[in-house]
Amino acid sequence: MESIGRRRFLATTAGGGLAGILAARVPPARGQQREISYLCWNNFAPAMDKKQNDIAQRFTRDTGIKLRIDYIAHPQQPAKYAAEVQTQAGHDLVEMRMHFPWLYEPQLTDVSDLVAELEKKHGKTLSSGYEAAHVNGVWRAVPMYHGLFVPTYREDLFKRAGLKVPDTWEELYTVGKELKKMGNPVGIPISQNYDSISTAGPVLWSFGGMEVDRDGKTVRINSPATEQMVEWYKKMYRDCMEPEVLSWTDASNNESLQQGKAGWIHNPVSAYIVAKQRKLPTADLINHHRSLGGPGGRHETDVPRSIGIWKFSKHVEPAKEWVRYLLGKREVYDEWVMSADAFNLPIYERLQDHPVLRTDPKYAALGAPGVQYHLYGWPAPPTDRIQLITNSFIVPNMLAKAVTGTPNKEAIAWAENEMKKIMAG
Amino acid sequence: MAVGNIAVTARLPLRVRVRELLDREQVLGPLFVTPALFLLVLLVAYPFCMALYFAVSNAFIGRPSHFVGLRNFVNLWQSDAFRQTFQNAFVFTGSAVALKLVLGISLAVLLNQQLWFKRAIRGAILLPWVIPTALSTLGWWWMFNSLYSVVNWTGIALGIMDPPGPNWLGQKYYAMTAVVTVNVWRGLPFFAITILAGLVSIPRELYEAAEADGAGPVARFWLITLPMIKPVLAIVVLFSTIFTFSDFNIVYVLTNGGPINSTHLFATLARQVGLETGRIGEGAAISLYLFPALMFVVWAQLSFVRRQVY
Repeated sequence: MESIGRRRFLATTAGGGLAGILAARVPPARGQQREISYLCWNNFAPAMDKKQNDIAQRFTRDTGIKLRIDYIAHPQQPAKYAAEVQTQAGHDLVEMRMHFPWLYEPQLTDVSDLVAELEKKHGKTLSSGYEAAHVNGVWRAVPMYHGLFVPTYREDLFKRAGLKVPDTWEELYTVGKELKKMGNPVGIPISQNYDSISTAGPVLWSFGGMEVDRDGKTVRINSPATEQMVEWYKKMYRDCMEPEVLSWTDASNNESLQQGKAGWIHNPVSAYIVAKQRKLPTADLINHHRSLGGPGGRHETDVPRSIGIWKFSKHVEPAKEWVRYLLGKREVYDEWVMSADAFNLPIYERLQDHPVLRTDPKYAALGAPGVQYHLYGWPAPPTDRIQLITNSFIVPNMLAKAVTGTPNKEAIAWAENEMKKIMAG
Repeated sequence: MAVGNIAVTARLPLRVRVRELLDREQVLGPLFVTPALFLLVLLVAYPFCMALYFAVSNAFIGRPSHFVGLRNFVNLWQSDAFRQTFQNAFVFTGSAVALKLVLGISLAVLLNQQLWFKRAIRGAILLPWVIPTALSTLGWWWMFNSLYSVVNWTGIALGIMDPPGPNWLGQKYYAMTAVVTVNVWRGLPFFAITILAGLVSIPRELYEAAEADGAGPVARFWLITLPMIKPVLAIVVLFSTIFTFSDFNIVYVLTNGGPINSTHLFATLARQVGLETGRIGEGAAISLYLFPALMFVVWAQLSFVRRQVY
């Protein structure tokens, strides 16, 4: 065996190393760096954040990749994300609520490979997850979980008054009148908040209406279905609700139910979960039932959440490793979902009959069959124009105008006009 | 001789030479101004120029933008929500500044009297100004909340309101009243304390002379107090007008611009359009819509102050 001299050894290894660096175009220090950061929302189910931190520690131990998770309140997300995009610096991974992948499309890495892997394991993504993260033919974020809206009611009041659990929005009017007489009105916000849109959407869709057509351009709000919907809201406001709904925030309907006032609300399951966690007297009295339908079908608002990777990230592969670890390992994903107590549910088809739904009999109505779940603005794709319509609260304001005295046709024409200006702008 | 001088200067210790240099106004002046100038350019001029550019472009978060001239400003005027916001801004600012001015002068005159615990009272009055606005507004939100309104509860208990009381944040006039009330509550200390400083500086002899001439309290106020504090009032009104026009926290926390956009201000609408929806160009145009008018207000008021002082 030919002996290698000291000088030759040094020359060979140095030359080889340099060639490797040049080929990889990554300096050695950076090549070794296995640290990623993730900007995440403060989950409405805080236990899920805690569990995520535990999982992140195990991820670091198992893979050697350091992960820093920063949490921010959801109202701060748009400003923070805009700052990261404008400066092309910040975190590697970002949590994306509903339509965010459409907003930040040009800045998000194509993660179609990851979604394909996950769908192979867990089944297809639910339609709402697809609508949110599949942007112009490319997956710009990986769907993680979803939180759906569900009718939530005071079971004790219904039993006491012999009321039938409603199956349609019209039937809700019938029981709502009785509830109001009992001093427990229906609580549907008609104000500038997102819960207002989350209920107005399903009512409109169930009457067969829509704001903008599937093409994302043609405004369709001025229709007989919208007139029916407005009329329904007017009689609900008059006979089943109280004027306070005009000033409600996203939390008000939860509070009203939890404090024993409202007899029926439309909300994610958080109203019940919080009552249960805080051991409120109403916790045992609250239950959920299947989403309401109408002549146009049975529709529901869904809030899918995805995880995206910024294009400016220099650690795309380690970032993908985290997504695979969190969502791809069934036992890890189950553990994470279970921690949220059914507030956030799996968004993949084969996981729909998840054990978390069997942890409490009151979760039986969640994910009931025959319900179609959508994003705001459905069936139009959630482009920035559709989002401006949503964020401008045009539909809740149309309803607020109608229930406070503006003639139906005038209120609808106002909404149509505002939407058309946005589409033309 | 000259050679000798150079030789003498060169031999001076460095410390002495630096001191001599700093004694020169041409050197020291710019030296003091430079850090502030640097900060102004970095934190004010640069973002402002960026905002100007955004306002005349179709900038969208993370996408290439193009110059569109005044299209954003023209399009905005077509929007009912924007026109409503425009009107709200003037109603909100006009009523809030007027109330703060009247109440601020009254409070300052009161604080200028000989009171027990004068220092403690003056300190306490500053509290609304010191507490973070978002936090104190949350307190007000709770007071106006439809479920727990202590305002309504008190009004009903005292028999001055019929149950369930006004829907403070759900009806447009009440909602505007609520946001103006909170703004006045927060801004009043600024007016009162600044005007008080102006009052304290008025020579007592003027009042004594007026009293000797038989002037009553009202005459003394109109003929001595008010003219003497005019420059202070002008500055306070100027600052308050700008701050009130650009208010954000109070409306964002209390009403989110509702009901039916009746309390939206430029800042809250700009956030809705520019950040929530990513349309930075339109958002910047909303923010800058009143810039020319505010510039004129600033110019007019500063001119007035200069005339009063010099």
